[in-house]
Amino acid sequence: MQGRHYAAFAAAGFAAVLTASAANAQETYKIGISAGLTGYAATVDRAWRDGVELAAAAINAKGGVNGRKLEVIVEDNRSEPQEAVTVYRKMLTSDKVNIFISGCVSAGNFAAAGLVVRAQVPMVLCSILPQQPDQVKWAFSTLPPAGFEITKRYEYLKNKTNIRKVGVLHDPTPYANLQKGVAEKAAAEYGIEVVGVEQYKQDDADLSVQIAKMQAAGAGAILKIGLGGTTLTAAKNIKQLGSNLLLLTSLEDIAVFKPVADVLGDKFFFVASPSQVFDALPDGALKTEIGRFLKPWHAKFTDRDPNWASRGWDGVMLTVAAIEKAKSFDGPAVRDALEQLTGFQGTTGVYNMSATVHQGLTVNPFFIATIANGKPKVVE
Amino acid sequence: MTLPNTTSTERAGLLLRAWPLQLLPWAVSAAIVGYAFIVGGYVATVIAFALVYVVFVTGLNLFMGFANQVSFGQNAFAGLGGYASAILTTTYNWPVLPAMIAGIVLAVVIALIIGYPTLRLKGHYLAMATLAIGLITYEIAVEWQSMTQGYLGISGIPPLGIGSYEIISDRGQLAILSIVALLAVFIAARIKSSRMGRAFLALGASENAALALGINVSRTKLIAFLTAAAFAALAGALFVHVVGYVSPEVFGLHMVILGFTMLYVGGIGSIAGPLIGALLISLLPEVLRGFKDYQDLFYGTALILLLIYAPRGLAAFFERRERTGSAS
Amino acid sequence: MTAAPARILETQALTARYGHVQALSAADIHVCAGELVAVLGPNGAGKSTLLRAILGLASTTGTASFHGEPLPRQDPVAVSSRGVVLVPEGRGIFGPMTVSENLQLGAYRLRGDKAEYGRRLARVLALFPRLGERLSQTAGSMSGGEQQMLAIGRALMSDPKILLLDEPSLGLAPRVIAEIMEKLALLRDEGLPILLVEQKAPAALKLAQRAYVLVLGRIVACLDPRDLSSHDDLAKYYFH
Repeated sequence: MQGRHYAAFAAAGFAAVLTASAANAQETYKIGISAGLTGYAATVDRAWRDGVELAAAAINAKGGVNGRKLEVIVEDNRSEPQEAVTVYRKMLTSDKVNIFISGCVSAGNFAAAGLVVRAQVPMVLCSILPQQPDQVKWAFSTLPPAGFEITKRYEYLKNKTNIRKVGVLHDPTPYANLQKGVAEKAAAEYGIEVVGVEQYKQDDADLSVQIAKMQAAGAGAILKIGLGGTTLTAAKNIKQLGSNLLLLTSLEDIAVFKPVADVLGDKFFFVASPSQVFDALPDGALKTEIGRFLKPWHAKFTDRDPNWASRGWDGVMLTVAAIEKAKSFDGPAVRDALEQLTGFQGTTGVYNMSATVHQGLTVNPFFIATIANGKPKVVE
Repeated sequence: MTLPNTTSTERAGLLLRAWPLQLLPWAVSAAIVGYAFIVGGYVATVIAFALVYVVFVTGLNLFMGFANQVSFGQNAFAGLGGYASAILTTTYNWPVLPAMIAGIVLAVVIALIIGYPTLRLKGHYLAMATLAIGLITYEIAVEWQSMTQGYLGISGIPPLGIGSYEIISDRGQLAILSIVALLAVFIAARIKSSRMGRAFLALGASENAALALGINVSRTKLIAFLTAAAFAALAGALFVHVVGYVSPEVFGLHMVILGFTMLYVGGIGSIAGPLIGALLISLLPEVLRGFKDYQDLFYGTALILLLIYAPRGLAAFFERRERTGSAS
Repeated sequence: MTAAPARILETQALTARYGHVQALSAADIHVCAGELVAVLGPNGAGKSTLLRAILGLASTTGTASFHGEPLPRQDPVAVSSRGVVLVPEGRGIFGPMTVSENLQLGAYRLRGDKAEYGRRLARVLALFPRLGERLSQTAGSMSGGEQQMLAIGRALMSDPKILLLDEPSLGLAPRVIAEIMEKLALLRDEGLPILLVEQKAPAALKLAQRAYVLVLGRIVACLDPRDLSSHDDLAKYYFH
């Protein structure tokens, strides 16, 4: 009977998976990654994973940390919270990972946070931090505060242009919503007025209504918050409307911006992370650290955008620093040490953690850039 | 049909051979849950989700398997049940049980408002309308941020429990979910053998014939829809209290696809189908996890093989074709 | 014509349309107490439409009345509760269910009355003893003739006051058709009026008191079967 066969096969296979992972008891420090390797987060999370693996390899090449090699275990959460809970659980109980350096599916990280905290395993995340205080205690983020991308753009408008009225165009993701909130609150500080706030969806094929509305309200520039193909859509719509609006978009894979620059030319600006404008950086600690990362990155992935991967790299380096500081691999000890890391030079900037600050980038690391001759260029 | 040809002419012998076959899906299910209970850990999490899906798919089966209607929107009612219970327990500090009940009531009321006009539609039109219900509910969960917190989701949802007694342990959760899932399956079996259940089946076999017998087809359809919505809402509420977190993606289209897969692989229209389907489809990716990048490939292949060799689902493998029709 | 007995079922200028297509034009027919009336006609003549119109399922003008009172429109449940019961074309039995469950569904409106249920079941099983042997078998696994018997038996379980049959001979062997017609004659003789829609004229004409001929949506003739000397007489209506 096929039915019986199948059931037997399923049971045997399941048992095999469990015992295989339990038998592998070599002394390594295990890093678990719950990443959306498929689904909406795939681009970002695959880059994040590659950054983590690159960093682990670099550490292992130097002999590991405190006598242990790093071992990276990746599970695909399909960008779904339910899958994330399953894979977190799998890595906790079957793989017995020591720390999570997980990707950008915030809902997945939130959904699993409860059980990760109960297991006393720290998390260093690509996404924003969970909301519950007991969960924040165990979670750290390499993500720059939502306001940085906004204030950098305001700074630019204030210092370099005479535009004082802007429109905010954002998608409904949590990070975009946080930024929108900052955009509304911080505008006055820079003498800027937000004359319109419009929302769009990631799969919208036309944004001309939103753009026309903001233009009619007197906006001279649009702050676009959100990832993906909609940036090109917005650019095309601005051009179709024959408008003089400037478009300032958020941090994104550089590859997305090249066609946008073709459409809008010098009316297009974007927020860039340091690793994206490496050549333009002055010599110093930041450039050195990015250089350490970019060398193997370029060797392996040539000119693939380094932004997300560089934060994954930082996640591993923060962890290694915490282990060295704690002189322990123990979960609570590493957590405590992570919380005390200050002045830590990462590829995205300097991390200053504390008991109240778990999102450690406290100095705005960003630049405003344009595309010139197909290459990103910092605008002064 | 699938019974092995028996040389024994003795009736008792035939019965003895037929019984274990019918019981096999139940025995396999019990073995899977029992295994999870003993091993605990990550297996327990997988099976806990599977048991929540047993409830969801059992409801779907009432509407699709018995009444032979189509709904791509049952995730909407799971979402309503889940969000209502999540919001009532976190924002308004309700106890878990009343919050879950309120969630189910809300879902049924919404199902009534939606179902009354929608169920007049047939076939593709009904399918499209239900799909829209699912998408609209998802959008509301995203947009109504003051209530749902949008994509950020609601965290800190209390676990299942009664009064001050909270069930946090894996085994405790597994035990309570097993009871609820069995209860759902039992209720479905009772419905199937009831007068209303026969009306579901009649309407599923032929609307015209059902009409000719004086069965109020639109009302029967509506009742099937509401019952399925109640099951979905219960599943949604169970889910949020088991995980402790809810966001719109939890009740996205993903849930519909998974539910359909479980229903068809398990055996649409049968009682044991949703049970065995939910358990095996939940286990399958975990069994195949070792294949890493090829996991999806093997999963897809396994599904195709199942549908080729068991087109009426796994439960149909074990069902006797001749049923003893004792009238209740 | 005999001394006019009470008209049980009567239609007056009953007209039905599907969109712009008029499928039935001003049909006047009636069925009296104790009668089996046949409606004959070629495929697509509007025979099934006539039945749907009587049951109020098609969009109609004109009237269909039962015991002198008009039958409700667009409310098949109310029509069947008046005792006007259809055995649909293609039998409409519930294949995956057992014979017993099919019969239970026939008595759907009876609810809990076990005694009455038993009486009706006994009557059906007396008429169709073969169903009694197959009570626990799934209906779909029976032969076509048995399925037709089940369809009629299931309709009888609702205790109809008039039976409407839509092509019960469809897809059956002549021997089986004869058996079914025999049972219908028995029912008629017990006093159940029957309106029988058929394409196969000979079988129906053998037991009908009166036969209407329906062609292209119009009643073109009302015949007394005894007056028909040969079936060629009927053919002239079909092909006029």
